[in-house]
Amino acid sequence: MKSPIRLERRLEQPRWLNWAIPLISLLGALVVGGLVLLATGKNPLDVYWRILDRGFLSERSITGTLRTATPLAFTGLCAAAAFRLGVINIGGEGQLYVGAVGAALVGLWMGGSAPVGITIIVMVVAGMVFGAMYASIVGVLRSQFNTNEIITSLMLNYIAGIILNYLIFNSRSYWRDPRSVGFPSGKPLEERTHWPTYELFGFSVAFGFLLAIAAAVVLWVIYKRSRLGFEIGIIADSPRAARYVGIRTKWTIVAVTAMSGALAGIGGASQVGDFAHYLDAKGLQLNNFGYTGIVVAALARLNPLGAILVAVLLGGLTNAGYSLQGPDFPSGLVGTLQGLILFTAVAGEILTKYRLRSNRAGTKAVAA
Amino acid sequence: MTNSAVRMTGVVKRFPGVVANDGVNFEVLKGEVHALLGENGAGKSTLSNILTGLYRPDEGTIELNGSPVVFGSPKAALDAGIGMVHQHFRLVEPFTVAENVILGNPETPFVIDTGTTAERVAELARRYDMAVDPNAKIWQLSVGEQQRVEILKVLYRGAQVLILDEPTAVLTPIEAEALFRTLRAMTAEGRTVIFISHKLDEVMSVSDRITVLRGGRTVGTVNTRDTSTRELASMMVGRSVEFSRVVRQSPADPGNVVLSLTNVNCEDDRGRQALHEVTVTVGRGEIVGVAGVAGNGQRELAEVIAGMRSSTGGTITVSGNEVPNGRARAAIAGGVAHVPEDRLHTGLAAGHSVEDNMALKNYRTPLLSRFGLLKRNVITSQAGDLVSKYDVKTPDTATPVRLLSGGNVQKVLLAREFSTNPRVLIAASPTRGLDVGAIETVRGRLVEAADSGVGILLISEDLEEIMSLADRIVVMYEGRLVADIPASQATREQLGLLMGGAKMEVTR
Amino acid sequence: MNSNIFIVIAASAIFYGTPLFFAALGGVFTERSGVLNLGVEGMMLIGGVTGAWASLHVGGSAWFTVVAAICIAMAAGAAVAALHAFLCVTLKANQTVAGLSITIFAGAVGLSSYFANIWKVAENPVTRQIRKLDVLGLADAPIVGPLLFNHTILTYASWVMCAVASWYLFRTKIGLQLRAVGESPQTADAMGISVVKYRYIHTMLGGALAGLGGAFYSLAIVPTWVDGMTKGAGWIAIALVIFGFWRPGLTLLGAYLFGALQSLGTVLKSRSYDIPGDVLDALPFVMTIVVLVLVSTRFAHKRIGAPAALGVPYEREER
Repeated sequence: MKSPIRLERRLEQPRWLNWAIPLISLLGALVVGGLVLLATGKNPLDVYWRILDRGFLSERSITGTLRTATPLAFTGLCAAAAFRLGVINIGGEGQLYVGAVGAALVGLWMGGSAPVGITIIVMVVAGMVFGAMYASIVGVLRSQFNTNEIITSLMLNYIAGIILNYLIFNSRSYWRDPRSVGFPSGKPLEERTHWPTYELFGFSVAFGFLLAIAAAVVLWVIYKRSRLGFEIGIIADSPRAARYVGIRTKWTIVAVTAMSGALAGIGGASQVGDFAHYLDAKGLQLNNFGYTGIVVAALARLNPLGAILVAVLLGGLTNAGYSLQGPDFPSGLVGTLQGLILFTAVAGEILTKYRLRSNRAGTKAVAA
Repeated sequence: MTNSAVRMTGVVKRFPGVVANDGVNFEVLKGEVHALLGENGAGKSTLSNILTGLYRPDEGTIELNGSPVVFGSPKAALDAGIGMVHQHFRLVEPFTVAENVILGNPETPFVIDTGTTAERVAELARRYDMAVDPNAKIWQLSVGEQQRVEILKVLYRGAQVLILDEPTAVLTPIEAEALFRTLRAMTAEGRTVIFISHKLDEVMSVSDRITVLRGGRTVGTVNTRDTSTRELASMMVGRSVEFSRVVRQSPADPGNVVLSLTNVNCEDDRGRQALHEVTVTVGRGEIVGVAGVAGNGQRELAEVIAGMRSSTGGTITVSGNEVPNGRARAAIAGGVAHVPEDRLHTGLAAGHSVEDNMALKNYRTPLLSRFGLLKRNVITSQAGDLVSKYDVKTPDTATPVRLLSGGNVQKVLLAREFSTNPRVLIAASPTRGLDVGAIETVRGRLVEAADSGVGILLISEDLEEIMSLADRIVVMYEGRLVADIPASQATREQLGLLMGGAKMEVTR
Repeated sequence: MNSNIFIVIAASAIFYGTPLFFAALGGVFTERSGVLNLGVEGMMLIGGVTGAWASLHVGGSAWFTVVAAICIAMAAGAAVAALHAFLCVTLKANQTVAGLSITIFAGAVGLSSYFANIWKVAENPVTRQIRKLDVLGLADAPIVGPLLFNHTILTYASWVMCAVASWYLFRTKIGLQLRAVGESPQTADAMGISVVKYRYIHTMLGGALAGLGGAFYSLAIVPTWVDGMTKGAGWIAIALVIFGFWRPGLTLLGAYLFGALQSLGTVLKSRSYDIPGDVLDALPFVMTIVVLVLVSTRFAHKRIGAPAALGVPYEREER
C-alpha cells in the first residue's frame, strides 16, 4: 500500500539544482521520446545519433545551428523576462512577426540612403518598438482589467499571422514585392541594410546572435542588480508585499510585458536583417520560434544566460530536424521532442519543492 | 475504563526541524467537555489533526471507546464518529448551508432533493439551539453563523466526539455564550466535546476537565473545579505570570497629535463599506489600542493609514501633513510604519532573503541604489547591523525569511520598520502566534518606541495585550469606532460588551 | 426560404460550434475540479489524428467505423489528459506551463503531426465521415429544417450532453462534490472526498471531450487530416469556459456564437460579399479578446463563479 518513494518538502533549494534539473529533464525527455520512437517502429539510438550529427558534429552544422538558435534565443529571453514576473506571455510568436514587420518597414524605407550602422540600429529599434507595442496590448489588458494574458497573447499570435498573410499575400502593401505576381513574396531589402556576419572560431555568427548575448547580459543585470529587478522579484514572490511597500505593480506588469515583447521583436528584426532580407510571411510562420522559446525559457529555468545556451541546444535539434526531414525522419518528431523537454522540465521543477526519499530509509530513521 | 471516549498514548509527531508532539498522553471521558489548553505551538493543533486523521502519528496509539484505531484519512475518523470544527472554517463559500452540511455524507442520495435536506438541516439546528438559515449561501453569513454550520456538519454526520479548535477566537462574547449553551446541549445527550483554547477564563467556565500541553508534551490533566486560572497559567507557561500594565519611561503626549483620521470611509475587497466615518487621533508617544472582534474593519483601517487601500472619504494627516490617498510610498515617506497582521506575506516577501526584506522600505534611497542599480554590499551590511541590533536568530542575511521562526520573522519586520525612523506605527496583532519570550521582546520594543516619541496604533484582538500596553482604548464594531476610553478606566467586561455591539456613550 | 443568409449562418454556427462546445464542455468539467487545462488544443489534435486514422483503418460497416473512430479519438484525448493530470495533480506542477507543454508536445508540429506522418493519414481523404442526417425527413422544412433536423449525430448528442452535464453538476451528489473539490479542496478532503480521484477523472473526461471535438474537425468539418487543423479552436474553447461562466448551457450559446464567427467567412465568400477574408479570419480571435476583457472586469470576477481553487495544486500536509 505504501509507495516505496515519498516526497518530502524541501526547505532550501540547493544551488546544484540549477543545472541538475535541466539535465535530468533533458535525459527524461530523451528516454520518453525513445519509447515513443520504439513504439512507432524506429530505432531511437539511430535517430538520436543523426540529430547529434546533423545538429552539432558534421561540417557547417554549427553555423546552421547558430542560425536557428538566434530567434530561439530572443523568444526564449522574451518568455523568461515575462515569466519571472508571473506574466505568462506566450505571445513571443506574434511579437516576433510584428517585430519583423517593423524592421522590414524601416529597412525598406531607409534603403541605401542612410549609413549602414545607422540603418541597422534603426532596424533593431523598430523591431523592439513594434514588438513592445504589440505585447503592451497584453500587458495593459492584464494590468487594467485582469484579463488572462495567456489567452490574449495567444489570440494575438493568430492575429499577427493573419496580418502577415494580409501584408504579403492578400494586399498590395508596402512590404510586398510588386514584381511578384503569380507567387506573392516580400519586397527585397537593399544590400546595405543587411546585417553583418562574423567568422568566429570557424563558424558564421550572425550579428543578431551577438545581439542576443548582449540582451541576455542586460536582462541578467536587470534581474540581479537593478531596482526594477528587485521590484519584479517582490511582486512575483508576494503581490501583497509589493502593495505594502507601494511598488507600482500595474505599471511594472506593462513595462515588463513590453520589455518581453521588445526582445521577441528584435528576434523578428534579426530574421529580416540577418537572414531573409525581406518580410518572409511564410518562413516566419513555419518555424514556431515563439512556442519553442517557451521551451527554451523553461529549460533554462528563466535564467537569461542559460537561455542562450539552451537556445543553441534546441537550435541544433531544430536544425537537424530541417536537414533530416524525409520519409525516414517524419516531421513532427522534433516538435514532439521539444514538447517532451518542456514536459519533463515542468515535471522536474518538483525537485525544487520536494526531495525524493525512500520510504524504508524514513522508517529506519524513526526506529533509530 | 469503559467510560473512556478517546485515549491517546505516547503520541509523537515530527515535522522537518520540529517535534510537534513528543509523547503526548491524553484521555477524554464520554459526555464531558474536555479542554485542551496550551500556548500557540504547544502541539494542540497537531494533536487534534492526528486524532482527526489528517496527520499520521510517527509513534503512539489511539483508542476510541476502548478499542485501538488507526485513521488513514479525515474520512476514516469522521466515519468513526470524530468530527472537527476547525479554526479556519472548512466551508465552500458559494454553496448553501444545507449543501455544505450534506457534503461528503455517504447517506446523501445520488440525486439531491434540496427541499428535504434543507428541512432536515433546519431541524437539527433547532435541536441544538442554533439559529441559521439552511438556504443561505455561506458568504452571506456572519462568522458566528458560519461556525454553527461547521458544527452542524459534524453533527449531521453523527459525530460522537466533537473537537473545536479555538472556537471563540472569532466570536463576540455574546456569541460565545450561545456556543457554550450548544456545547452543553450536546454533552447532555452523551456526546463528547474537546475544546481547544489558550484562553484561561473560558476554559474555566466551559469545561469539566482540562489537559495542559506545553512544548509538545502533556503537563497534566486536572478537574476544572479543583483548579484556578493562576494554576493553569503556570502549567501552561512553566512559571507563574502576572498581567499588569507596563511602566512607561516617558508619558504620552496626546495633545501633540502625530496621526489624525477625520471621517474616514473605505470599502473592503468585495466593495462593501468597511469603515464608517472613522475619526481618531494618536498623540506623540501615545499607544492607542484598537479593540474588536476580527473582521470589523481593523484590517481596512490599518491598510488605509498605510496607503495600501484607498479611502472613499475623509482625511488622514501625519504630523499635520495630509497623506495622499491610497499611496503607500507617500505614507512611508510621511513617516508611517506598519506591522501588518499577515507578517510573512504582506509585511515581508517570504521567499526573499533577510537582507532584501530589510531593504524593502529604503531600497530606493540614494543610500542603497544609484542610477537604478542596487548597492548590494550596502544592503548586506545594513542587514547585518539590524540583525545584530535586534538580535535576529538567522544563519546569515541571505537566508529566506520563510525559514525563520515566527518570533524572528517579527523581529526582522520590526527592525526594518523602526529603522525608517517613523512618527507613527500601525501594529496589527503584533504578538499573535508568538511564544512567550518573543511576545515580551515585541511588547518591549513597542513600549520603547512609544517612549522615544512614536505614536502607536495597536490593533489587537487580545484584550490583555491592549489593556496592558495602551494609554487609550477605542473599540471597533462593524466598521465604526464605538468607544474611546482612557485605558486606566477600561474594564474587560465593558470592552467585551462594546466589542459585541452594545451601545455606549462615547466618552471623550 | 432556407437559403436566407441568417438561416444559413445560424445552421452553420451550430455545425462549426459543435466541436467548440465539446472542447469547452470538457473544460467546464476539468476546471470545475480545480484543474486548469491549457492543453486542450493538443488534445483536440490528437483526437483529430487518431479519429482520422481509425476512419481509414477500422473495418466493418460505415456506422461501426465512425463509432469506433469517435471512441478511439476520445480515448486518445483522455490519455493525453491523463499526462496533464499526472503533472498537475500528482506532481503539483505549475498548471499553466504544464498545459502549454501538453499543447506543444501533442500539438500542431508535435505528436499529432508525427502520427499523421508515420500513419500516412493526410495522404487520403477520410471517406467514412460523420455526415449530416435528415431527421424525420424534415431537413428541408422551412426554417426549422436546417436549424433542427439537418445535423450530425454528434450535434444531437451535444444537446443531450449539455442537459445531462447541467443536471450532473448542479443536481447530483457527485456534481456537488466535484464543485466542492474545485472551490475548496481542503473542505472536500476534510469531508472525505478524494481530491486526487475527482481531479484525475474530470481532467480525463475533459480530454476525452476535447478529443471528440478534434475528431469532429477531421471527420465532419474538413473532413480529412491537415496538420494543425483546429487552428486555435482549443484556445477559443478555453476562453468559452470563462464566458460560459463555467455552466454548460451558457457555454453552448457561446460556442454557437463563435461557430457563427468562424462560418462567416465561408458563407459570405460563397455569396460574393466583398469583405476581406483576413478580417473575417481574425474575427473569432479579436472577439475572444474582447469578450474576455468584458468578463474579467471587476464586476464579474467573484460572482460569475470561477472555481476558487482553479489552477492551485492541492497539498494536504501544508506546514
